[in-house]
Order: sequence, then structure tokens, then C-alpha cells
Amino acid sequence: MVDVQPAPVIDIAVSDAGIRFRRNRRGRRSFKDLFAGRDRRSRPDEFWALRGVTFTVRQGESIGVVGRNGQGKSTLLKLVAGVMIADEGAVDVTGGVAPLIEITGGFVDDLSVRDNVYLTAGLHGMTKRMIDERFDEMIAFAEIGDFLDTPYKHLSSGMKVRIAFSVISSLDEPIVLVDEVLAVGDKVFREKCYRRIEEMKAAGRTLFFVSHNERDLRRFCDRGLYLDKGALVLDGPIDDVVDRYNDEHGIKK
Amino acid sequence: MTSYGDERPQWTPASRYRHALRLLTRRDLRVRYSTSVLGYFWSILDPLLMSAIYWFVFTQVFHRNADLEPYIVVLLTALLPWMWFTGAISDCTRAFLREAKLIRSTKIPRSIWVNRLVLSKGIEFLASLPVLALFAIFSGATVGPGLLLFPLAIVLQCVLTVGIGLIVAPLVVFFRDLERAVKLILRLAFYASPIVYGISDLSANYRSILSFNPLTGIFSLYRAGFFPEELDWFAVGMSALISVALLGIGVFVFSRLVRNVLKEI
Repeated sequence: MVDVQPAPVIDIAVSDAGIRFRRNRRGRRSFKDLFAGRDRRSRPDEFWALRGVTFTVRQGESIGVVGRNGQGKSTLLKLVAGVMIADEGAVDVTGGVAPLIEITGGFVDDLSVRDNVYLTAGLHGMTKRMIDERFDEMIAFAEIGDFLDTPYKHLSSGMKVRIAFSVISSLDEPIVLVDEVLAVGDKVFREKCYRRIEEMKAAGRTLFFVSHNERDLRRFCDRGLYLDKGALVLDGPIDDVVDRYNDEHGIKK
Repeated sequence: MTSYGDERPQWTPASRYRHALRLLTRRDLRVRYSTSVLGYFWSILDPLLMSAIYWFVFTQVFHRNADLEPYIVVLLTALLPWMWFTGAISDCTRAFLREAKLIRSTKIPRSIWVNRLVLSKGIEFLASLPVLALFAIFSGATVGPGLLLFPLAIVLQCVLTVGIGLIVAPLVVFFRDLERAVKLILRLAFYASPIVYGISDLSANYRSILSFNPLTGIFSLYRAGFFPEELDWFAVGMSALISVALLGIGVFVFSRLVRNVLKEI
């Protein structure tokens, strides 16, 4: 019998993806422009934030996205999260995504913490029963047990981020997107977040990580994507990618 | 960390859509009612006050010479659905801008931002119907089999409102002026629809012109149960035709614009 290796499962397939933005938000727009759709012409007042980006991510890989500010890192994350749509090419994501992007985005000021947990987790695709089961764990992780029925707006900003991180990271989705959320919170909680991300990685989740922090990148990621001027210039082991980034932009050692 | 194992829900796109729609609608109602003491009464106070004013103006100040009686029922049968229509459409002008944070961070089918507004205003409309029933009983209105057309009116109004909402919501993101324009048009539409009057009050000429307003047919269905002479099948047909056409245009416009909306907010 021949030992057949199972084909690796592709979680994220990005092929020739591009997205463009207007340079000038207040620029004039005509109805004709609006309906132009996804043609490939580029207009003078627009620029491509990403173009011709192609890569695939297999299940369980952890990817670090590297690049200077404004080179398309967060945009790439948003395409994978499905909160933006590519103008050309395709972004195919198999399975659900737990996006640690603007994590407090779905929380409503006037509702209690409890209602907010059910709302946000629910919008990300958890059923009420799953949330019931997981609820105490989420609250314990965020360390805000006494504030369950407090309106969200009355929490301190640290607590807001903690509960939001706790909820999104409790989603049982195969893909986890992390966009520099770890820059917030106090040191103790940050370390807790790190541990949770490591647990998720160990559990075989696919990790997609955007950071400027070299240590974090080397700690969490196996593979790096280096974005420069909206193009994918290097796709390789994280150490190679970080080294090249340092060569080009980093502080000379 | 525990894992859910086999109990991961098997979402179909439709069940996921309904789930999110339900959550958001409940959120809206909860926010509205948890932050106000009068809660439910606010949503009926507005149409009631307007009805009282029009009733006073048209029956006590000017003596209207029309056959439709009781006038308060004439008003309410159209004012309550009008509140649904105008509330949903004017909320649609802020559908994306108000929820920008959530839209930027959570993948939710985009048409929900319109549909949930139509739904939550629709629920308020249904919740206000007991008021109509009360006034109908105490003013001695007669009820006929036309009341069975009520559900048809609701369906038609859903189609029309969603259609217009799908057109307005994304366009406002690019043309902020549209928000004000919509308010003006709604005010005009209030008088260009049979609300403070009935189509049976009108001359044949005006009546046929008004039939091209899709709200005419819808309100004529709402009124049919109390005022059989208000039922005008030509207007209903026109209304159905225009509503379906607007829904088609809405779906097209929305699907073409949504990718740019996501970039803009």
C-alpha cells in the first residue's frame, strides 16, 4: 500500500488581489464612476493599496505580515476578514474568521456588558447555547466579573478592550486575525493575550498576524509576508522576512 | 480552552443572515426601550399627535365635506404605515454611517443594514396597530372583509421600503447632500400620498395621477377594511409593479456600490 499524504487544507487563497482607494476623500465623484465596477483601469485620483497579491495559507500555518505603515498590511487583513471586497482578483477564505481587528467595534455603549457579549459573539456566529457555555470563561478571562450589568460605556478603556478581546478570541473559528491589538492593555493582560494566542496556535488554528514588533512576529509566526508599496515582495520563513525588512528599513545594527 | 467539537453550528447563509438580523433588531429595540421611560409610547405618540392635529384642523377648523367617516380612522390607517415608511427611509440615510465601526470590524451580509431598519420600524408599526383597533372601535367604524387585504399591504410596503432603502443607503455615503434631499422628498411625499385625504375624495384626474405613487395603492389596501370605496385595484397594481421594479433597481444599485461603501466608511 502506498502511503498517501493527505493534501494540505487551504484556508486562505488570495490570487492576484488588488484594491484601490481614492487619494482625495473629498474628490468629485460622478454616478458614472460609482457604477464603473471592477474594471482594471486606474484613474488619476486613485491609487492601488494592494495589487497583484497572490499567496495561499494552509490550515494551521501562522503568518506574520510585515511592512512599513501604509503599505497595505491592514487592508490585506480586512480583505481576509471579509470586511472589504477586492476590486480585482479573488480572496477565498474557507471556514470562519475570528477577527481581532477594531475589536470593540460591535459593542454598544448603552447596553450592559452581558448583553454586549451575547450580541457580539452572536454576530460573529455563535449560538446562544455556545455563549451560555462559554460565558463565565469569557468574563473570567477579562477579569470584569463585578461589571456584568454595568452599561458598557461606564467601563474603563482597559476593561472595554479586555472584554472585547476575550469575546473575539473565544470564537471557535479556524482562522484568527490579529491586527496590533496587543499594543493595548496593561502588561499583565498583554501577556495573557499572548498566551491565549499561543494556545490557539497550538490548537491548530490558522493565525494571520500584523505587527511592527519583531519579537512578537518571531514568537508567533512561522512564515512571513513582506508588503511594500502594495505589492507582496517576499513570502518566506519569518526570520528571512524580518531580516530583509530590517535590512531595508530597520535600524542599522 | 475548551472546544465545541461537534456542536459547532452548521450555518447556512440564510440561517446566519436571520440570526444576525434578529440580534441587531433586538439590539435596536433594547437600546431604544432601555434608555427611555415611556419606551413603547414614544413610537405611538408621534402618529397620535399628528392624527389629533389633522383631525382638529380638518374637522373642527375647516369642515371637510367628504364621505369618509370617521376621519380619525381615515388618518390612522395611513399615518401608522406612513410612520413605518418614513422612519425606515430616513434611518436608511444613516444606515452605513451610524454602524461604521461594526461594519469595519465584523463580516455581516451587507444588505442587513437596510433590512434590519425596515424590520425594526415594521415591528413598531405592528405594535402600534392596537391603537388603530381602539380608535376604530370607539369611533364606531364599520369593518368589512377588506380587512383581509391588510397582510398584502404589509408585504407590498416591505418590498417598496426595502427597494428604496437599498438605493438610498449606499448613495448617501457618497453624496451626503442626499440625506437632506431625502427628508424634503419625504415631506413632499406625505402630501402626495392619500394620508390626510382619501383617493375617493379626489377627482378622477388627480386620482389617476396619484396612482403612480406606489404608496397610494398600499394605503388603499390598508383602508379597504374600513372604507371599501378606498380600494382601487388599478392603484394597487401600479403600486405592486413600481415596488417590484424599485426592489430590482435597489438590488442592482446596492450590489454595485457596496464595495466602494466599505472603503469609504
